[in-house]
Amino acid sequence: MRMAIQGVGVTGGFGCGVDALTSALHRGEPIVGEVDGVPAYQAAIEGLGDFVPKRALRRIDHFSKMTLFGAFMALKDTGLSDVDRSRMGVVIATGYGTLQTTFKFLDSYLDFGYACSSPTHFSNSVHNAAAAHVSMQMQATAPSLTVTQFEMSVSSALLSAQQWLAEGRVDQVLFGAVDESCEVLRYCRKEFFGDGEQGPLRPANFSEQSAIAGEGAAFFVLAAETQPAAYGYIDEVILGNHATCPVKLPISDELIVGADGHQACGQWYQEALKGREFAAYAPFYGSFPAAAGFDLAVAAVSLRDQTLYTSPGADAGGRLLPRKLDQQGLTCLKFGGGGEYGLIRCSS
Amino acid sequence: MTALASIAITGLGCLSGAGLHVTESLENMFAGIRNPQPPTKFTTDHPVASLVLELGEGLKLPLDEQESRYSRTCQLALVAALQAITDAGWDAESLRGKRVGVCIGTTVGCALNCDEFYRAYKGDDTPDMGIMERFLRSNPADVVARHLKLDGPTQTVVNACSSGTDAIGIGAAWLRAGACDIVIAGGADELLRLTYSGFSSLMITAPEPCKPFDLHRKGLNLGEGAGMVILESESLSRDKPKKSFLQGYGSACDAYHLTAPHPEGEGLKRAIAEALSVADLAPDQIAFVNAHGTGTPDNDRVESRVLSEVFPSVPFSSTKGYTGHTLGAAGGIEAVFTIACLNRGEIPASIGFSTPDPELPVTPVRGPTPIRGDFALSESLAFGGNNSVVIFAKGDA
Repeated sequence: MRMAIQGVGVTGGFGCGVDALTSALHRGEPIVGEVDGVPAYQAAIEGLGDFVPKRALRRIDHFSKMTLFGAFMALKDTGLSDVDRSRMGVVIATGYGTLQTTFKFLDSYLDFGYACSSPTHFSNSVHNAAAAHVSMQMQATAPSLTVTQFEMSVSSALLSAQQWLAEGRVDQVLFGAVDESCEVLRYCRKEFFGDGEQGPLRPANFSEQSAIAGEGAAFFVLAAETQPAAYGYIDEVILGNHATCPVKLPISDELIVGADGHQACGQWYQEALKGREFAAYAPFYGSFPAAAGFDLAVAAVSLRDQTLYTSPGADAGGRLLPRKLDQQGLTCLKFGGGGEYGLIRCSS
Repeated sequence: MTALASIAITGLGCLSGAGLHVTESLENMFAGIRNPQPPTKFTTDHPVASLVLELGEGLKLPLDEQESRYSRTCQLALVAALQAITDAGWDAESLRGKRVGVCIGTTVGCALNCDEFYRAYKGDDTPDMGIMERFLRSNPADVVARHLKLDGPTQTVVNACSSGTDAIGIGAAWLRAGACDIVIAGGADELLRLTYSGFSSLMITAPEPCKPFDLHRKGLNLGEGAGMVILESESLSRDKPKKSFLQGYGSACDAYHLTAPHPEGEGLKRAIAEALSVADLAPDQIAFVNAHGTGTPDNDRVESRVLSEVFPSVPFSSTKGYTGHTLGAAGGIEAVFTIACLNRGEIPASIGFSTPDPELPVTPVRGPTPIRGDFALSESLAFGGNNSVVIFAKGDA
């Protein structure tokens, strides 16, 4: 069943809101920040106070704040800020969950003894805490689901959102992709990849490590295909493993690939694309498992504007000028390191 | 909600503190045997040690020779999955070439909770990056799919303690949508110092064997394990004996509190209503309810209120006294128990219950109890206000 994309809310390295993402796509040049002297993309949450009272945010961590910010922006974009949400499901995809709070919980007992384990940090470290905060803040009482499947998190969770709508369990789904960065993750990346992550991020150079850590939240309001779509439709979600059964790429669709400078995944893109032209936008938001949600946000904006935007970086797919979509479909392709893939087909 | 097609269940597998497979678990439960004890796999300096239910002796882990490469949660998931696959008449070879999905719920199995690594990172030692590599290899659904070389959708559900129940409901939706032909679905979770400390910090664990629904209940005992079912499409299962049918699934969010259930069980009532509607059943058609029944004051109070309202004369029990609270695995393990008991025509004593609590309008069964009817319901309540319910029909196998 097709899903109508009714609204989008994003916060990432490019800024926050659909306008910021669109501006980045028009500009074509990524803006990379820095943390501890290493290139990194960070997501802003400064505008969250416009949606949630500060008092309610006191015990909510960065991960959940990004989640709430993305979710509220998507609702606002849809014009659904003040409606009954008892038939709105919440689905969140995350590769790592809330990292900072998990380590804060470990801090509480490693520093002060087990008797001092923090109940607040523990309850907020559970993977579905962010979804719970969304449900509570929005009084969304329909089903709630959090999925973690590393690089496949977004496509896997999207499959469930699609089925909720198809089976009539909900009227709309507030669907989000969220991941955060933290000091420990940056340490691990340095240990694993050495100086390979100094930038720039070159997604089309499949054989080299050029990933730069990112974070953010990308949210969508999804509805059944009979409902109006401001950004086009998600037609089909397919998951599989290329190593077991090779992926079949739609022949006439334009391709947005989730290549993000990870050498371990590069071989799968190389093998599946077989020299075919593609676009890749990871240099706008960085490398993290839920970044597939940002690829989908770019696809949504592209369908709205009927334009496939320039991939940032001269080597990213070899496409330097924006071009009209001419009613073609758009397919987002994401690979994991073991050949697992997620294919999200979209159209106007 | 309109009624949806039921989905055939052709295989069951589970392991927990109650037993290392389905038959052993039922034997122990109907004999009233349980073995809560202080944890043996880790130490803490908690002033009051709560009890846990660990897996018994004799467990052979399928990835034993590569134990350091995968988390224990993944190993447990694989044990239960292999049991269920065998029970369904399949093997790894015969599954290849078929569209097989894997949907597994967990709570701690996907969290970056490597305290050994983090202790070294914070201190002067060099952290062992192998621990981080193991984390990156240890997505439960992915490990099961890779080990069996499957091609199909994979999903690890992290809805806290309702994860296993949700995974089964989601797997059924995959089959109805034609996303695959077979789904391995359930839950898995290991016992960890992190969860032990976390639940202790919330002051909801008991230093004695847990007593679900009892006046003197003091909290839960944690446990570990995994439970899986094999869901099959109509075309594949047509000529096979069925263990059961998944008749209904419902879920709803309280949107009330991060860790406490809604006092009137509003989300649970909506989840039950959805499951009954999807199954096209009335409450009095349910033969028994497998309650979440953790033994915490809040959970049992809310559940008892909802059960008295929706199922006033339906017998119910909690199996957490035998297994401990296995978190993301609980829904999978208890789905297996619910099906096995429905087919057996009898439910075990809700162990730990002896003294009724005047605050609870209904109480569980005290001893092994015969049940009559063709349908049974299992419910899960979770952190985040998630409530999930599955309804099973009696099988023909």
